[in-house]
Amino acid sequence: MSDSKKRMRLSQAIPLIHVQACMKLKSQANTLVFSYLWWVLEPLLFVLLFYFVFKHVLNRGGDDYFLFLMMGKIPFLWFSKAVNSGAMSIQQNKGLISQRVIPKVIFPLVNCQEALYKQAFAFSILIVFLVANGHHDVLNWWQAIPLIILQYLLIAGVAVLFSCFATFARDFTVVIGMFMMCLMFTSGIFWDVNTIQDPALRDLLLMINPLAAIIDGYRKVFMYQELLNLKYMLCVLAWSITTFGVGYWALNRYSNTLTRRLFA
Amino acid sequence: MTLPIINVNNVTIEYTSRVGFFKRFKHKALDDVSFEVQPGEVFGILGGNGSGKSTLLKVLGGILHPDEGEILVKPGVSRALLSLGLGFNPELTGEDNAIISSMLNGYSKKQAQDLCKDIAEYSELGHFFYQPVKTYSSGMKSRLAFSTAVLTEVDVLLVDEVLSVGDKKFKQKAQETLSEKIKGHQTVVFVSHSEQQVRKLCDRSIWLKDGVLQAYGPTAEVISKYNNG
Repeated sequence: MSDSKKRMRLSQAIPLIHVQACMKLKSQANTLVFSYLWWVLEPLLFVLLFYFVFKHVLNRGGDDYFLFLMMGKIPFLWFSKAVNSGAMSIQQNKGLISQRVIPKVIFPLVNCQEALYKQAFAFSILIVFLVANGHHDVLNWWQAIPLIILQYLLIAGVAVLFSCFATFARDFTVVIGMFMMCLMFTSGIFWDVNTIQDPALRDLLLMINPLAAIIDGYRKVFMYQELLNLKYMLCVLAWSITTFGVGYWALNRYSNTLTRRLFA
Repeated sequence: MTLPIINVNNVTIEYTSRVGFFKRFKHKALDDVSFEVQPGEVFGILGGNGSGKSTLLKVLGGILHPDEGEILVKPGVSRALLSLGLGFNPELTGEDNAIISSMLNGYSKKQAQDLCKDIAEYSELGHFFYQPVKTYSSGMKSRLAFSTAVLTEVDVLLVDEVLSVGDKKFKQKAQETLSEKIKGHQTVVFVSHSEQQVRKLCDRSIWLKDGVLQAYGPTAEVISKYNNG
């Protein structure tokens, strides 16, 4: 086995991913004027912008539209930012790769972990808004835990797979941009997937677009006090395992090719 | 005779880069290079700019895999490549970079934090050790890189030009540390432009020119051919 394909023990990889993610957060906070405050401000500003456009310019949505939008936009922002940064992570760590034999899967996972820690702040804001808006029925909120874990797994899977593609061909970043745009319009962020009239089409969308199933899941749990749909959650899990498996295999199988692409 | 710790057999590395839509530029960074590194020796790599020295070090470090030929390394041998500040995240402090570097070499976070005290002291960076690396001069980066690599226990240390930067006092200290490490049976592969440093530190050497091995053997003989070539 070539050195570039050597495995890192999980007991070594997990603390390394956590430490690197924490250090990245610290360094980012130190370089920005509003420091840690940005982790709360950024999702809020995005939601406010969308709310203004859809509620007041386009006259869309009902009473709970601001919360509805938050339930869609905050998980989407987590997904898009983590996947975008994860996809570029191998290129960003070119210097480190030129000096050490490190399994490449570590780099997208560090960025996903970093995004998870930031997301904890965004979710805290979400909970505050829910309670402030009279959503006190917390009986079903425990479902948010498996839902967050599922979303994290999906992010990790897609980021690992995309990091392989983006390292092989930088042009892929254009495809990622288009992919995110497509997801933004098809995941039910500012509209409700349950308003699709054709049940077969709705079912198909929730199965082939795991982000749509996740966003619908957040609304079910936090806004409508409903149970998660197990079938769609299993589809999300299947997507996560498949993308992670293919990405992990490709990063190992083509590790040397990818290193050469970085220095070509 | 002892078994070599690293055995390089007919290694060729070819880079291909695109220069137009259908045009590609190919060049051999290393062309059929063979030599052996013995345990506990300091092995020198001499050559001018673009001769393939740094590529060879990456191959020895397991970072690049040869297109042709093979690198045989004794099982369980750990290697660390030490070059100028490339592996550092400029936004992180010297301390944070040293912790990550040590953890990448297999240390736990606690062990890495303990080692950091020694790195801070050895590197003589003072309060700069706790500042982002982007505020460092190239000499300071070199000191941090050298201190981190030299204090982390590895079987083979691959040193790339790092002793060419930094103040005279630190260079002297670094050379002394390397000499001590060598006495303690540390294997070092040392790349340098400086004939003087190679002559002083290395038992055996190679001379590379345009990726091709020009000379291989005792350092004095290799330097003599290098000067005449």
